[in-house]
Amino acid sequence: MTFKYIGRPVPPQDGFYKVTGTAQYTLDVELPGMLYAKLVTSTVPHAKIKKIDVSKALQVPGVVKVVVGKDFPYRVGMYAGDRDLLAIDKVRWVGHPVAAVLAESLEAAEKAIDLVDVEYEELPTVFDPLEALSPDAPLIHEKMEEYRHSPAFRPIPGTNIANKFTLVKGDVEKGFREADVIIEEKFYIPHVSHCFMEVHNVVAHYHLDGTVEIWTSWQNVAPIRQIMALSLGIPHNKIIVKIPYVGGGFGGKAGLGWEALVAILSKEAGYRPVKLVLSRKEQFTSAAVREGFYGFAKAGFKKDGRFIAYDVKFILDAGAYADYTVNVGRAVGYSADGCYEIPNIRVESLTVYTNKIPTTALRGFGYPESHWVLEQIMDKAAEKLGIDPAELRKINLVKPGISETCTGERLREDAGNPQKVLEVLLEEIGWGKPSEKPREPWKIRSKGLALFVKGPAQPPNASASAILKFNEDASIDLLIATGNFGQGTVTALMQIVAEEFGLPLEKIRVDYIRDTHKSAYTWQTVGSRGLFTDGIAILNAIEDAKKQIFKIASEVLRCPEDHLELVDGEVRVKGKPWEKIPLQDIVMGYTYPNGNSIGGPVIGRGVFMSTHTTYLDPETGQGNPTIFHTFGGTAVEIEVNLLTGEVEVLKGVQVLDLGKVINPLLVEQQVNGGFLMGLSIGLYEQIKFDERGWVVNPNFTNYYLIRIKDIPKQIIWKTVETPQSDGPYGARGVGELTMIGVAPAIANAIYRALRVKLNELPMSPENIWKALREQRPEIVDEALKKFLEFKKMVEVKK
Amino acid sequence: MSFGSPYFTLPEFTYHKPKTLREALELLEKYGDEAKVMAGGVGLIPFMKERLISPTHVIDIKEIAELKKLEYKKGEGLTIGATITFSELEKYQLLKEKYRALYQAVKLASDNIIRNRATLIGNICEAIPWVDGPIPLIAYGAEVEIKSLDEVRRTPVADFIKGPVEIDLKPGEIVTSIHLPDIPEEAKSGFLKFNTGSEFALLNIAAYLLITAKKKDVRLVYGAISSKPARALEAEKILLRDGDLNALISMAAIKASEELEVISDVLASEDYRRHLIKILTMKLLKELVEEV
Amino acid sequence: MVHKLSLIVNGIKRTVEVKDNEILLDVLRDKLKIKSLKAACWRGECGLCTVLLNGKLVKSCLVLAVEVDGSEIITVEGLVKDGELSPIQRAFIEHGAFQCGFCTPAFVLASHQLLIENPNPSEEEIKEKLGGIICRCGTYLEIIKAIKSASRFYQKK
Repeated sequence: MTFKYIGRPVPPQDGFYKVTGTAQYTLDVELPGMLYAKLVTSTVPHAKIKKIDVSKALQVPGVVKVVVGKDFPYRVGMYAGDRDLLAIDKVRWVGHPVAAVLAESLEAAEKAIDLVDVEYEELPTVFDPLEALSPDAPLIHEKMEEYRHSPAFRPIPGTNIANKFTLVKGDVEKGFREADVIIEEKFYIPHVSHCFMEVHNVVAHYHLDGTVEIWTSWQNVAPIRQIMALSLGIPHNKIIVKIPYVGGGFGGKAGLGWEALVAILSKEAGYRPVKLVLSRKEQFTSAAVREGFYGFAKAGFKKDGRFIAYDVKFILDAGAYADYTVNVGRAVGYSADGCYEIPNIRVESLTVYTNKIPTTALRGFGYPESHWVLEQIMDKAAEKLGIDPAELRKINLVKPGISETCTGERLREDAGNPQKVLEVLLEEIGWGKPSEKPREPWKIRSKGLALFVKGPAQPPNASASAILKFNEDASIDLLIATGNFGQGTVTALMQIVAEEFGLPLEKIRVDYIRDTHKSAYTWQTVGSRGLFTDGIAILNAIEDAKKQIFKIASEVLRCPEDHLELVDGEVRVKGKPWEKIPLQDIVMGYTYPNGNSIGGPVIGRGVFMSTHTTYLDPETGQGNPTIFHTFGGTAVEIEVNLLTGEVEVLKGVQVLDLGKVINPLLVEQQVNGGFLMGLSIGLYEQIKFDERGWVVNPNFTNYYLIRIKDIPKQIIWKTVETPQSDGPYGARGVGELTMIGVAPAIANAIYRALRVKLNELPMSPENIWKALREQRPEIVDEALKKFLEFKKMVEVKK
Repeated sequence: MSFGSPYFTLPEFTYHKPKTLREALELLEKYGDEAKVMAGGVGLIPFMKERLISPTHVIDIKEIAELKKLEYKKGEGLTIGATITFSELEKYQLLKEKYRALYQAVKLASDNIIRNRATLIGNICEAIPWVDGPIPLIAYGAEVEIKSLDEVRRTPVADFIKGPVEIDLKPGEIVTSIHLPDIPEEAKSGFLKFNTGSEFALLNIAAYLLITAKKKDVRLVYGAISSKPARALEAEKILLRDGDLNALISMAAIKASEELEVISDVLASEDYRRHLIKILTMKLLKELVEEV
Repeated sequence: MVHKLSLIVNGIKRTVEVKDNEILLDVLRDKLKIKSLKAACWRGECGLCTVLLNGKLVKSCLVLAVEVDGSEIITVEGLVKDGELSPIQRAFIEHGAFQCGFCTPAFVLASHQLLIENPNPSEEEIKEKLGGIICRCGTYLEIIKAIKSASRFYQKK
């Protein structure tokens, strides 16, 4: 079947607004009479608040009010339900907001925050999640049992454990007894920041009649309303959340945000609109970041390569609040087996409170963490077994239609083709072919790979819907809540509508503002689910609209509905293309020459509801957690400078089984962008804390993000297309997948060439140099010798 | 030193834009340590935003014609005025030909947009331990010229920078220019910066090398290693010896990695820095020696 | 003290009152409503507030407003002439050289200036000239493609 729009590289449809600077972001929103809010944040990591003196701050001209937490003791949240709006009786990390100043100007607010005196009584602290698990560790949340958490999680009151996830399948002890080779490794990933370019910022207007209007730089409208309604007790239809263009999200604008706080501030300011904008430092230190992570893995293999036992423990350093991270802890747990069939597996994943920054989702949501562990285990096992790493993967790959995942879910037959993904990956990277020798003999080149699989981590009942309404000229307004923060999903969804109605793409319009009041509901745009779930809802809305159109056309053309077809914006009788009626004569109802009319304005509605997903059993972790699995792989060819520890990626390959590529240009953007983000987190990024819990690099000078000069020479991507029958045109999600494999593929390439383990991120030059020096000092010495003997430095430089 | 600010606005101050040096000096005399001089502003403005400094008077010297000087005189050397930006230096052909270490440092400093505003003298006056500007200047034995209403003095860049954000400048004084001595045709110089995965240098190094039958003069200068730039004097002495140059380079590099005071900070550990000193010293010296 | 500045912003004469301590970025965004200017760090690292000030690219978060009295400022709003997008803007759209779009005005402006100064830049030069702007979505490869494809339009001029 040939398509006019599906599969075509249509540029993102909001380009005009973005290149002209006319796209409106929350940062650009100003309301008449708007006040500015500024946070006072804690300077100690764990303390009782003895007293807050705001009297001096109130003297600053222009200051309207200073608000403190104890006046608003709400608990808010999406999953763990553990969060306060402002610190209520104690602070739990350096950066914890304790008060908010409201003023007529930002300058006045900033003067006033310096004059708020907070008196603390310091408490014992714990910064390390392993120490936080000890029975005598300071307790960070004393009243955990009072928190309203989702049924999917198991907090353990009286400890620092915000969620305990366990999974058991088969008999792992028996597996180890039967294993010929056992690998044990420890892994670590530091805290990283999303670093979306548009910082968290919110404008809220609490009206006197009880209606609350919110503008916010967030991924999704629905959870904001839901969280505010449940925690503040405001009826849903009185909360109107609007999201214009969003300057990046990457998971850091999902779940709980600042909206409830700013709404309360607006009310406190006498029902005037209030704007809160975080500075970049505050974004690093007072907002949520990605958790720190430990993985302790033990894996057992048979001589022939079969992976028969896996016992793994994950400890997530969730910081002071774990509202969304409990779900990361769950996802890292049930994704422990990656794309391999492991008959005996035991997983424990603990999400642990510490006195550090709160944490949340970040692109990939636990899967980068579980794969950082597993994909390196595979290469280490391959070495011990004397089997090629690609071959070892081939032996253990899941077989859709036959295999079960570690949660006991039988993979559907059309889930994807991981074998083919691996084949294409090996082909494209030239697996088995040696790399060219670098000109400088103190450098080495090597290839490495990692496979991965991911599905959206979401509650089992996370739904979506779409409304599609026709205008007089048969143009279409598509009312959806799909988040639009750069991924391009909305363009792909518009392509589906244009394709189905045979209309030019220009006739399809999705407003740039998402609005709880006007957009059809979707749970969230997270987890690479938008195209899949909202696409299905849209296809159902299209079918609904088509039914209405055909019903009218059938009467007009005096032809049964099933003999009609929609082509190029016309309803035609099949086989008799001259018997036709243009859409615009139908979509507002058809009027006969005498004025009699039938039908009426056409409005299509459609939903997505997952009917087969379940909660996971609290003890065994068994159940169906996801709506699809996207399989993929990353391979890299790298060059390592053995003298300095620098790594350069010469070639990156990404292969994904996307079912169906709706728009290759958008996929390429995700592949490139995900690769670069994976590279940046893999090589450079780390939030550094001092011994008192202060972040020492809350800026882009000392927290380095990949720049244009650092990009690899070449990134290529290929797709395997195994359509999933219930996906839109067979498609699956892609957005997060593209960064999961990058870091483990690089680590594997280094290990293959040098037998040097890099179990910790980032793989910065210093960390690689340290690992080389500790594990293989002779390599560094040899490289240095070659360097000294090398005569033609200048020539090489040219 | 940790950067980053919760504030968007600046503290209050009075802005002055003198047209002459005399006028600027009078303002400085009048306001003493309440005043700060601003050229490009790329250092001063973030420092004020972070409340690291809160001058009540900011004296913008960009309009002062006398400070726009960029001039080379044979036998005397190069004079760089206080408002000369990195971009202007980058385009100055003589720099590329004659003062190569400075040219390379200028090209590698920050990014090309910042360089349109940032001045070399501002870079030195900031005295942040990781910046690039001072390193080649010290290698050339450059001096800063400092003026106040009643005095003109010169001091070597090496002495001018006393520590992190600490310089030899009294209230009422202004740095008007930098003087680089003229250097012999046979002299070679170069600069290397290691900043993979970092904005600032983890280590930067400049070398000045004059090795002829008649005369030997060597200077090795290191930045981003501790509180201020430093010369590796013992390593320099090794290079002054007679013998196989390649062997001397190796010895000197090892010596430099041992003799310097080096600290651990947010960018790198002491161990790694010492290692980089060895590697970068060898690399730079080998390149300079091979360059004929 | 309040200063009354006269500026030419995107070809239009503007006057605006500012205090000594106001930053150009804030004055352009909040008082002159040039909302294409974005910011992500407010301390010279991200480059999103880049403007052309008297023909030179500068980061407007590092400029005092009071300094620029009498200057000419161009932002991405100034690249649209007679209702037509500039070639670099068209190329950015065609190659999808943006995702979230927050850094796009800065990249478009800097790319435009780069092509005016050198209509046929090498890849190395593109990287050098755009090194001061950050795109977290990672559209650097698409941006390079867009600049290369727009190059011919700048050569004709």
